[in-house]
Amino acid sequence: MTPVLERIFGLLALMALVVAVGGVVALARGRVPAWLRDDVALPLATAIAAVATGGSLYLSEVAGYLPCALCWYQRIAMYPLTLILGVAAVRHDRRVWLTAVPIAAIGAAVAVWHIVIERNPALAGPCDPTAPCSIRWVEEFGFLTLPTMALIGFLAIIVLTLVARPATTDAR
Amino acid sequence: MSSSTTSKRTTSTPDGQGRQRLLLAIGGLVVLAFIVGIAVLSTGERGSRVTTEDLAGNPAIEGEPLAPGGQDQPNDPEVGSQAPVVTGADFDGTPVTIGEPGTPQLLMFMASWCPACQEELRSVSPWLAEGGLREDVALVAVSTGLDDTRPNWPPDEWFESEGFEYPVLVDDADGSVASAYGLTATPFWVGLDAQGQVVARAAGMLPVDQIQVLADAVAGGPA
Repeated sequence: MTPVLERIFGLLALMALVVAVGGVVALARGRVPAWLRDDVALPLATAIAAVATGGSLYLSEVAGYLPCALCWYQRIAMYPLTLILGVAAVRHDRRVWLTAVPIAAIGAAVAVWHIVIERNPALAGPCDPTAPCSIRWVEEFGFLTLPTMALIGFLAIIVLTLVARPATTDAR
Repeated sequence: MSSSTTSKRTTSTPDGQGRQRLLLAIGGLVVLAFIVGIAVLSTGERGSRVTTEDLAGNPAIEGEPLAPGGQDQPNDPEVGSQAPVVTGADFDGTPVTIGEPGTPQLLMFMASWCPACQEELRSVSPWLAEGGLREDVALVAVSTGLDDTRPNWPPDEWFESEGFEYPVLVDDADGSVASAYGLTATPFWVGLDAQGQVVARAAGMLPVDQIQVLADAVAGGPA
């Protein structure tokens, strides 16, 4: 069960990466499709935060992958985003980026440092016998570790909330 | 929420909106089903594998356990203490003893899932294979932190793949040997002199030149 779910999380992360890149392109061109801005961006951002939250809880509580300190900091950023974005999606609050982007940016910064430690274990020092931050519990497709997936999630949320903000221009 | 912070629906009719949302929802479900299908088909069944219980040793520990340490080497209160004598076995059942007076020993506590241990073993094994360690010092690895849910399992294959040819004492599933030696983090080094007394403990990676210094210290001087 767990290997299948890990693969699903990896594939979803790849999809989120595609969404983030697509969103950046739309923002750069200044032409965001109305359907994406009005109907898809915030629900999709909510879904990304919810899957990240559920996934991290499954991996720690069911699969037994103990979260390290840096994992917890990323959780602190990701978990409230599920509610914040969910409420914003229901209320069509397109100014939620003012709250969501700073939180997601902090989470993304922690995820980047976590990835650096994973790739350079010497930077992390010796391994905590219970929950070392340098351990790679999951590594899908050779590069998608848990903090990498979290980073993609945070970036996708940032892009999608920016896509949904009121100032964007409709694509014709 | 004020009207300025909420969107105004731009799609022409309620029917049109509903149809668009339905299509988006169906599209989302199709993509999700596709992902699940790919995941199921691309994840092979993991065959029967060695478990922690299969691999864990049953070492006998005699003597007072050492207090946790290794983080503050110069002020380690256990320097000079008699180390516990542990009688256990290698992965293949060959008896291995640590802490017994007779020959100065270097003990290298390793957890296979620990990335720092992986780097340490990768750098130490070639040096050992080239005869880098002085002959009057015995080096024994202790395989601890056994956990079959963690990466780089099982540890016996890991030691073999790194070309490590020194004895490996296998800890039990509770890490009793590690606790007896006061392990606080891995890798964890312990130097014992010929009387079986602690000369130094160090948590973290040691470069080869520091291992040589430690070997000289346990042997009582340079070779």
